[in-house]
Amino acid sequence: WEPTKKPAEIQKEEWMAGCHKLQLDSVDKFKKLLPSLDTGFMDREEFGDFYKFCFQFNRSGTHKTLDKDLVVALLKMCLTGGRIQSERLNTYCDFLETTKDESYSKITLDQWRSFLDFSYEYPDADALEKYDESQSAWPVLIDEYCEHMEKLGKKK
Amino acid sequence: RLLRYPLNIMSNQSNGNIIQLEDGWNNVIKKGAIDVLERTLDDGFDTSFEPREYIRIYTTCYDMCTQRSPYNWSRDLYTRHGETIEAYLRNTVLPALQDKTGQGGTILLNELKHRWSNHQIMNKWLKKFFTYLDRYYVKHHSLPTLEQAGLQHFKTEIYQNSKENTTSAIISLIDEEREGEIIDKTLVKSIVELYESMGMGSLESYSTDLETPLLDATRAYYGRKREDWIAKDSTPDYLIKAEKALGDEKTRVVEYLNPSTEMKIRKVVEDEILQKVQMNLLEKEGSGCSVLLANDKTEDLQRMFKLFSRLDSGLQPMANIVEKFITSQGNSCIDKRQARLDSGEKDKNDDPEFVKSLIDLHEKYLGVIRETFASHHLFQKALKNSFEEIVNNDVGQYSNAELMSTFCDRILKSGGEKLSETEVEQSLDRIVQLFSFLTDKDLFAEIYRNQLAKRLLNQRSASDDAEKAMIAKLKVQCGTQFTSKMEGMLNDLAVGSEQKSEFDQRMEQQEDTKLSFGVQVLTIGNWPSYKAPEVALPPQMSKCMEVFKEWHDNKHQKRRLTWVHSLGNASVRATYGKKSYDLQVTTLQAVVLNAFNDGQTYGFTELKEKLNFDDITLKPLMHSLSCGKHKVISKSPASNKITSNDSFSPNAKFTCNMRKIRIPVASVESSHNKSRVEEDRSVAIEAAIVRIMKARKTLSHQQLVAEVLSQLAFFKPQPRVIKKRIEALIDREYLERSSENSQQYNYLA
Repeated sequence: WEPTKKPAEIQKEEWMAGCHKLQLDSVDKFKKLLPSLDTGFMDREEFGDFYKFCFQFNRSGTHKTLDKDLVVALLKMCLTGGRIQSERLNTYCDFLETTKDESYSKITLDQWRSFLDFSYEYPDADALEKYDESQSAWPVLIDEYCEHMEKLGKKK
Repeated sequence: RLLRYPLNIMSNQSNGNIIQLEDGWNNVIKKGAIDVLERTLDDGFDTSFEPREYIRIYTTCYDMCTQRSPYNWSRDLYTRHGETIEAYLRNTVLPALQDKTGQGGTILLNELKHRWSNHQIMNKWLKKFFTYLDRYYVKHHSLPTLEQAGLQHFKTEIYQNSKENTTSAIISLIDEEREGEIIDKTLVKSIVELYESMGMGSLESYSTDLETPLLDATRAYYGRKREDWIAKDSTPDYLIKAEKALGDEKTRVVEYLNPSTEMKIRKVVEDEILQKVQMNLLEKEGSGCSVLLANDKTEDLQRMFKLFSRLDSGLQPMANIVEKFITSQGNSCIDKRQARLDSGEKDKNDDPEFVKSLIDLHEKYLGVIRETFASHHLFQKALKNSFEEIVNNDVGQYSNAELMSTFCDRILKSGGEKLSETEVEQSLDRIVQLFSFLTDKDLFAEIYRNQLAKRLLNQRSASDDAEKAMIAKLKVQCGTQFTSKMEGMLNDLAVGSEQKSEFDQRMEQQEDTKLSFGVQVLTIGNWPSYKAPEVALPPQMSKCMEVFKEWHDNKHQKRRLTWVHSLGNASVRATYGKKSYDLQVTTLQAVVLNAFNDGQTYGFTELKEKLNFDDITLKPLMHSLSCGKHKVISKSPASNKITSNDSFSPNAKFTCNMRKIRIPVASVESSHNKSRVEEDRSVAIEAAIVRIMKARKTLSHQQLVAEVLSQLAFFKPQPRVIKKRIEALIDREYLERSSENSQQYNYLA
């Protein structure tokens, strides 16, 4: 790694420059890289940028969306480590994997970003009790996740 | 009677004699006027004074009031005027009244009337005699006038002492009259006038001393009546009594109370006998509002309506019951349909019985609202609400929108319902009314357009005027945009028939084809989408098409033509042995028949290749020609199903009595394109979102959804559907989520 501007911090530009330098052109390399990065020091804004970047970086060609499977893998990479509750991450990934809805075979940037913001606002099962679809502007994907959790009878 | 006298009055002043107070008072005034007055009143005779007497007394007073000091007796006379009246009232009148108290109300009232009348006479005469005081003394000292003073004395001495008993007496009489007894109304009226006068220019005495106790008594009376009636009477019977009571009270005021009481007494009675038991009456088992509706009890309902109109927000509960009732009637129509389907009846897109039952229901209650509820807006709303509920309640495979469109199709197609022109007009009017309650109007439009296209293209429309009329009615309901395609379709046909003769002339010039040939040009977008496969046509047909294309391109350079052979019709001369027939077939059937001109046998697959048809197209064609009523083509092996192994040849044995034979083909097309409706909706929702966000720049999710729903006239999408469109627009960067508020959107220019 090159020396960074702030000690023990990575800024987005540097991150991107660094990625290019490392010639990250495949998800595998990305996967290998990520575990070695500790994003715990980032504040919300910085992490938000990072999180968004994770999605954008993995897009291929002119496609604006990512395949669901890739999304699940990326989520598990980016969001482990306490940023959001692990129960939330796991149940959401389960939901994505098991849903039969064809329209979710591809995930949009809006859906990707909304999941994080949603998890900040509704961090755990207790918070989910208060979730009201009729008032919500969250993407339908999130509404369906909450519905799924309600059906499971456990809101974590 | 005061008569006019010449001015030269004999006056003591003129001969210089001063009248002393006691002298004047005792000898003239008291003896000549007051005593006489009192006596005649007591005796009951008419009070009158000889003109000479009157003059003498008047003059005495006048003199006594105009004499120079210290002989000006104005003050004394004024005082004694008051004392006289006071004394008379106290000593004579009051005891007489008190004597009559306790002997029954009427006796007391009569006495009081008598005494009041007397007082008025006394007051009048005393005023006449002492009139000069009113002119100067009273004014100069700002004192009550003689009349006012007299009145005040009556009030103090008599009225205040007897008002309570009097009021009780009156109220008793009124209660008796309410119970059906006859009372002396004139008497009561006179006493009421007394109360009015006691207010000295205002109605305060009347209001406080009579009206208020009367209102309390009225409330008590009708409270008892209410309890009595509500326990025993049915709602209609109760209402008849209530109506009568209100009428009676109104008459009562006119007959002997002050007009200002009318409003107040009415409110008390309405409150007691209507307001307090409103729900009880409406919901009474066996005779409440819904029972009356069920039994078409028009008169009772009219009465109920009129009575409850009197109350503040008295009609809403009734309108709610009406709404529920109509909705339940509609639901039973729906249940009947469901029952027929459950019992095995085929589920088709055509159920005239059901549609007619809804139309009849609507007509019935339109009439009821007009006749019984005076077209009141709350009831119109109730009808509207209930029909919005009913009409959108679909059962079975086919939506009510489709059933209604098919109902129109029946009326508008030739060979459908046999109706007169007025009946057609009326039916269309009524179906459009029903249509106005549909949420999915765009679905109706799509289906209607498809059915309209079928009618028009197959020349199965009964009347061009009827078609236009229906479209006009839809336009009135929904606006120009809604009907533009339909109008476009009619227009295409009109233009076509205008240009037909021109093209016919052109065809006549053509020598290398003997076919008579016509083309209907359709504007894409107006009509449903049709498949236009390339078909291998016989050369005579191709030639005709070329001629047309050339002619058309000449007229309209910029237009591109696409031939839709699946919609065309043809007439084919078929000769079997010695007999010839004219077969009315579709263009594609004609193409198939033409292939057999050489008399050969062809296999299914062969035909497919030769004519460039696919299975879906060819199978029904072969079926119609070889398995239908008129087997002009024979099939082997013989069966009712077409398979790719079949082979076909002209049926040498074919015969028929008729010369002109129509050979129908099963239609492959569905009634409408479901996905087209879905697509159009997505587009409409997105357009609305963008329009709204462009104007408002930033909106919360709730507000945006609400605005979108209010702008969509022809369908009502679920919130999730709207949300998906919002997400799509976020993806295409028309909108973004606000970074400050997760529930807010910003417009991206």
